[in-house]
Amino acid sequence: MKGVKSLSTNVRLALISLLICGLVFPIVMTGIGQVALPWQSNGSQVYYDGKSIGSELIAQNFTVPVFFHPRNDSASGVDPDITLKDAMSQVPRIHNATGISESVLNATLLKYRQYTLFFFGTPYVNVLEVNLYLVKTYPSIYSQYDQ
Amino acid sequence: MGALEVQPVGVIMLSIEDLFVVAVVWGVVIVFSWFFSKYLFTVFTGGKSRLDKFFKPIENFIYTLSGIESTKNMGWKEYFKALFYLNVAQAVIALFILMFQANLPLNPMHYQGMSWSLALNTVLSFSSNTNLQHYNGETTLSYLSQMSAIQFLQFTSAATGLAAGVAILRGFAGKARTIGNFYFDYVRSLTRVLLPLTFIATLVLIALGIPQSLGGYTSIPTLQKDAYEILYRGPIASLVSIMQLGTNGGGYFGANSAYPLQNPSQITDFLELGMMMFIPTATLFMFGRMVGDNREGRTLFLAAYAIYGIDLIIAFLPMAHTGRGLEIGYGGAASVFWTVTTTAFTTGSVNASLAAFNPVVILSGFIGMLIQGAPGGEGIGAMYLIMYVIVTIFLVGLMAGRTPEYLGIKIEGRDVKLAVMAFLTHPIIILVPTVLAFAIGAEKAAGLTANSIGFTQIFYEFTSSAANNGSDFLGASGNTIFFNVTTGIVMWLGRYLPMLFMLAIADSVAVRKRTPSQGLKTGTISFVVILVVSIFILTVLTFFPFLVLGPILQFLESFKTSLGGVIFAL
Repeated sequence: MKGVKSLSTNVRLALISLLICGLVFPIVMTGIGQVALPWQSNGSQVYYDGKSIGSELIAQNFTVPVFFHPRNDSASGVDPDITLKDAMSQVPRIHNATGISESVLNATLLKYRQYTLFFFGTPYVNVLEVNLYLVKTYPSIYSQYDQ
Repeated sequence: MGALEVQPVGVIMLSIEDLFVVAVVWGVVIVFSWFFSKYLFTVFTGGKSRLDKFFKPIENFIYTLSGIESTKNMGWKEYFKALFYLNVAQAVIALFILMFQANLPLNPMHYQGMSWSLALNTVLSFSSNTNLQHYNGETTLSYLSQMSAIQFLQFTSAATGLAAGVAILRGFAGKARTIGNFYFDYVRSLTRVLLPLTFIATLVLIALGIPQSLGGYTSIPTLQKDAYEILYRGPIASLVSIMQLGTNGGGYFGANSAYPLQNPSQITDFLELGMMMFIPTATLFMFGRMVGDNREGRTLFLAAYAIYGIDLIIAFLPMAHTGRGLEIGYGGAASVFWTVTTTAFTTGSVNASLAAFNPVVILSGFIGMLIQGAPGGEGIGAMYLIMYVIVTIFLVGLMAGRTPEYLGIKIEGRDVKLAVMAFLTHPIIILVPTVLAFAIGAEKAAGLTANSIGFTQIFYEFTSSAANNGSDFLGASGNTIFFNVTTGIVMWLGRYLPMLFMLAIADSVAVRKRTPSQGLKTGTISFVVILVVSIFILTVLTFFPFLVLGPILQFLESFKTSLGGVIFAL
């Protein structure tokens, strides 16, 4: 009888734990997130012309020469950032493809520069941010390449 | 989890800035966990608290519904049985959800159920706080599985580990003259520690960019014409909170904390690091409060952090060659810091591909996992530190020709035998299956060859399983029946056997007579030094031949091909 009681106790406690930790908690947090912080809760999506063009946290598949390209060897394969050095090495290609002067492109990169280790570490840029700026600033050049 | 990438490039050097970051993270965590240890002490000694008004009714409701007497003291057998059977019941429920997710709700992506061996591996992994993952969550698991199998077991395994750790510390502290009641410790771990902390953490992580949604995975046209991305929105923030605070480490994504939606920036990177360090560190301070002498907690804390610090120095030493496989936004040094921390605390989440690291970083990771108490996982890290204290006191006692004593308790033959059994569990369950895997050629099915790289990866797999860490090289390529079943068994043996042995010691010392200490003073800095040296000697020597065949050989091989390797080539 003691064994049966202990089995029933453990099964009941397991089910209560499931209910609290495995259902109520994540669902309540989803509710709070959706109401209080809807933009982040739904993946930090960037909007262009009123339409979502994907998450600013996920690297996009930029392949044509007019855009800055992300790298695709990192652990996740969707690192949205490239080092400033990497970005600057792409400037001549974009200049050749678009005719935008190299100094303007470099200045754009510096405008969107961020740092690892706060202000100490490696400077880098978010590829989507920079490309979106170019698309908005030079619509005549980019209209044939964007969605 | 790591994708199989090799040939690292680039250089990281430990700079003043990196040291600054480590110092800031350590400082903040240590200060906060010191204050939190006071709260933990009240929670687990049943002291009066202003929060009782809120928590007591919830806890009493849980006790009543389950038919629990939360005030009845348990012996070690009873405590362990309650713990083990509850964990079995939870594993069975989760197994059912994983295998039949296709027929259950909250599966908007229409994913199939898991195979029996993968589902078995997954529930043994998550119920033992290991979180080894032979699957990629975002392409395998339904929302229900992510919440009600994965997050569920992450909460309960953390609560179980904390409960067992607290019971053992309570027994040694001796004030209560018992190891306590499992259900009391387990329920309070959930209601008063894990749920409130994860509630706050989830909100902060959402604000910092981690999604929390049940809106389904959608394909979105991206900026360039005719390009698309799949946006994996899910209940990610709540999972990340418990995976770090509970030292679980199993991620929502296959790429774990390298995936930007699980770890969007450097701020979240450091925050998540701090979260995995928080409760294990506070538990060590809590021990001092339980004993009624903060120096005893300080000893465990200093020893654990000394080893953790040595691990960090080893990992940074070779100016580890890294680059590919690391995420730009966190910085290379932060990735090394993370890998060392995740193994030191046996969390096992990764923010970079393990294969991208210099073998020396991996060696440092091995040391963290083989020791398991530097500072180790939720509750269990403290347990291992006590185990090392017993063995160390015994060895010192032998040398000095005195009866070994700890906290005024005479350490008897049975205590030492049990502590050594707990210690020897790991070499046996790591080394035997590693050798077995190569003996039957199981490495080929996982796409590996029998060289130093393949050896490192399989040795790492079983070490990570036994230490309930969960980081690995194999990832989804480990999804073979051999690795699913063997690592599953190793994870449970590595979890429950040492727990059983240590509960048995704690229960017997709880009621043992205490006399003012005449032997070795354990609250002193000199004892910390003895303890650290003894932990290194015990652990590293046990595994040294295996470390030589794996990461050390790999390091020497890479050295041979570089300029400096001329000497080695001669």
